[in-house]
Amino acid sequence: MNFRFRRRLLPAVVTGLLVLITGTKANAAPSAADFVRNLGNQLVTIVNNDSPTAQKKEQILPILQKGVDVDAIGRFCLGRYWRVATPDEQAEYLALFHKVLVNSITSKLGDYRGVSFTIGTTTQRGDDEAVAATLKRPQQPDTTMQWIVSTESGSPKIVDVIGEGASLRLTQRQDYASYISRNGGKVANLIEALKRQISRNSN
Amino acid sequence: MTASTRQITISEPDARMQQVRQPRKAGFVKFLTGCGLLALSACATTPKPTDPEALAEYNEANDPYQSLNRKMYNLSFTVDKYTMKPVAKAYVWAVPRLARQSLGNMVRTMNEPIVFFNDVGAGKSRLAGDTFARWVINMSVGIGGLIDVAKMAGYPHHDNDAGITLATWGVKSGPYLFLPMMGPSSIRDGIGYGIDVGLSPWNYVPRGYGLLTFNWAYNITGIINGRADHLDDLEQLERDALDPYATIRSAYQQQRKALAESIKNDHRATTPDWY
Repeated sequence: MNFRFRRRLLPAVVTGLLVLITGTKANAAPSAADFVRNLGNQLVTIVNNDSPTAQKKEQILPILQKGVDVDAIGRFCLGRYWRVATPDEQAEYLALFHKVLVNSITSKLGDYRGVSFTIGTTTQRGDDEAVAATLKRPQQPDTTMQWIVSTESGSPKIVDVIGEGASLRLTQRQDYASYISRNGGKVANLIEALKRQISRNSN
Repeated sequence: MTASTRQITISEPDARMQQVRQPRKAGFVKFLTGCGLLALSACATTPKPTDPEALAEYNEANDPYQSLNRKMYNLSFTVDKYTMKPVAKAYVWAVPRLARQSLGNMVRTMNEPIVFFNDVGAGKSRLAGDTFARWVINMSVGIGGLIDVAKMAGYPHHDNDAGITLATWGVKSGPYLFLPMMGPSSIRDGIGYGIDVGLSPWNYVPRGYGLLTFNWAYNITGIINGRADHLDDLEQLERDALDPYATIRSAYQQQRKALAESIKNDHRATTPDWY
């Protein structure tokens, strides 16, 4: 009797444990996806409204600052030149980088109405999680990308976007590195170029 | 560049690939590639930096022929500005999106045999099966490839070419190249392009006035359609990149690496799920 009871109990315990383990995993995965969905919904709501682009940029900035680790991305993009930059240059560069990022996102989306997106699967990528998302814009082919979510700073934040296998922050870093090395090896020259770029793209 | 955009310019070589169909032209391309490689070997490379961090950056870029590549890049974009770009803009303005999408589907379907041979070459029978199913379904039910029925039936398109097949065999990319009017490449991918031209069955079909006319119409449409798909990407690049040449190089190298990895890591069983 006792043996039979054990025979029944053991599978039940194992099944229970399995449910617990898979349940925990299942709960962990959606959190990154939910975070991206939430952030994406906020951005899409702004993009799809009828306000002028300048106003959209103002509305998008706080959302990005909350959901995207802009400083970490900025530091990554400056690569080895981050260490040679003076504290003033670092601060100025980061301030400009925030604007560059907002400009880049609004210029990608700003002119469209009827933008929408769908969230796909979440996969582990090193310490971070990659959430697949497909962006749909009218009159344009769908764009599939992965949003890399890191919880290193304590709360989930976007640290990179992978589009068709290319990391945006790595591509940006090589762009900046190449620009600096071809322009005297000075961060100050990059800062001037970013200023010119921002004023050109703001018009 | 479509969903399969080897992004920015990366799928541009694909579009351009449609340009060359006849064996005589294929021979000419191989001759040109040979001349290009000869010129490269004779041309001065960018000197290696001595600082360890700068050297790491130099190695990461993998672009010893940078000065020649930049010249080719500038030439290509100048020519594009006055030729392909305005044509592509006019095409987008004149042709409705649905029609453009259908033509894009057709060009892609016509290119599927090359993908198939490369799937086989990479030893990925399941991928080859998917591509074969795509080709059969789209050429028949999809009305000569105009409608991507195969995608709806669970056989989405995947990119593959001889450069990628060589990569799955362990062949290194070799230095980065920017080929005039064809876009970013590498020694390996340039050789792969020549192989793909040879693999395309359209080069071996019997000749006739009708077929020749179709070939030209199809090639020209493919090129214009491919360029039109990248109008936004390239304009965005001009706006956002401080050094667009380096940005294209980085994106291309990463995407090629990711594509080779995705083909290499496709370990699905040979038989489909329903079997």
